[in-house]
Amino acid sequence: MADDIRSLTAALARDPASIAYAELAEALRRRNQPDEALRVALHGLSRHPQHADGHDVLARIYSDMGDLDRARLAWSKVLEIAPDHAGALKGVAFVRFRQGDVAAAAAALEQALAADPTDEAARRALETVRHGPPPAPPPAPPQPATAEAPPAAPPPAPAAPEARPRPAVFNGFDRSTADILLLDERGLVLAGGLLSSSGADVGEVAAAGLAGVSGEATRTGEYLGLGTWRTIVAEAETANMVVAPVGEGALLLVRRDRSMPVGLALRFAERARGTASAWLAGQGA
Amino acid sequence: MTDDLGRALDRISRVRGMRGSMWVSADDGIPVAQLLMEGVPGKAVAALAASLVRKVSGTAGAVGAGKVRFVQMEAAGGTLLVALAPPDLLVVALADSRVNIGLARLEMMRAALAVTA
Repeated sequence: MADDIRSLTAALARDPASIAYAELAEALRRRNQPDEALRVALHGLSRHPQHADGHDVLARIYSDMGDLDRARLAWSKVLEIAPDHAGALKGVAFVRFRQGDVAAAAAALEQALAADPTDEAARRALETVRHGPPPAPPPAPPQPATAEAPPAAPPPAPAAPEARPRPAVFNGFDRSTADILLLDERGLVLAGGLLSSSGADVGEVAAAGLAGVSGEATRTGEYLGLGTWRTIVAEAETANMVVAPVGEGALLLVRRDRSMPVGLALRFAERARGTASAWLAGQGA
Repeated sequence: MTDDLGRALDRISRVRGMRGSMWVSADDGIPVAQLLMEGVPGKAVAALAASLVRKVSGTAGAVGAGKVRFVQMEAAGGTLLVALAPPDLLVVALADSRVNIGLARLEMMRAALAVTA
């Protein structure tokens, strides 16, 4: 990956008018360097304002940064230029789903499938969007700060440790970078985060363990004639865990405090699964 | 003791949708006592349930969730339920998709608690 970035940077230096900027921005985005990716994308688009793939990359960058409004605008621009752009249609579906507009999300995915009936990622995302429960309304905007803190207010809690920077797929979900993890079937983290009680990032450890759980669940389903597994719920001493497959080849882990009833944790996980599925479709995964 | 285990399985098996229930040795996944409908592969259920619980417990430990008490795996064609009865037993149930999971869980946790106490 570092070699890709070096060679793309060199190509762009040789020919600043090249559209290789989009590929470079995408490579930087995948390396979790959103600020650099954004700079490259915006600079390239200033030269190529009608370059659909450049706007598509820009939208993905905004999406990773949690700026869904800008992401939607960028994908809308792509669709003005190329109305059947599959990446943009799936991106719009992701944003619409996150914003609670399930019908618009489904319509965008249907359009993506009409443009390319072999797009399995779009098909899986459409199934999830159609059959999953509707997402909860977006969180209320933060209250404006008051001029003075109440005198009896407790001292501010120490800032929560940050998880490793990863795509902000679950922004808007409670504890989106501390309790929700998306990984692939090989046990590699894709998005989200998982922090221990001491604030350590345990996402990669959990992902490695979960890959084994998924394989075991698949084997159990096959041997016992239960078919494809949908969810695993584990109730433990201090937290409940919900594990669910997302499409083919990805897994979601949601950890919730035991104070949240299991049924509610399952609904929360289902909503996160829908978001993850739409995001993966938007990535072309 | 064997009568107690059998009575617990009898209660669990009365839950609608239940295809079988069993006590399983947690360490080696071998059935200790079982009450199964015809055709349910008891040994396979026991071995796979124990293995799944081991994997899930390992992950729960890694993510700081603590010791696992109950596991449910829902699949297209049914549900596998496991209650842990420390130190060395599992209550395992196999049910079809009509099962009232809440009721089954209550009976299984009750049985596990009775053996652990």
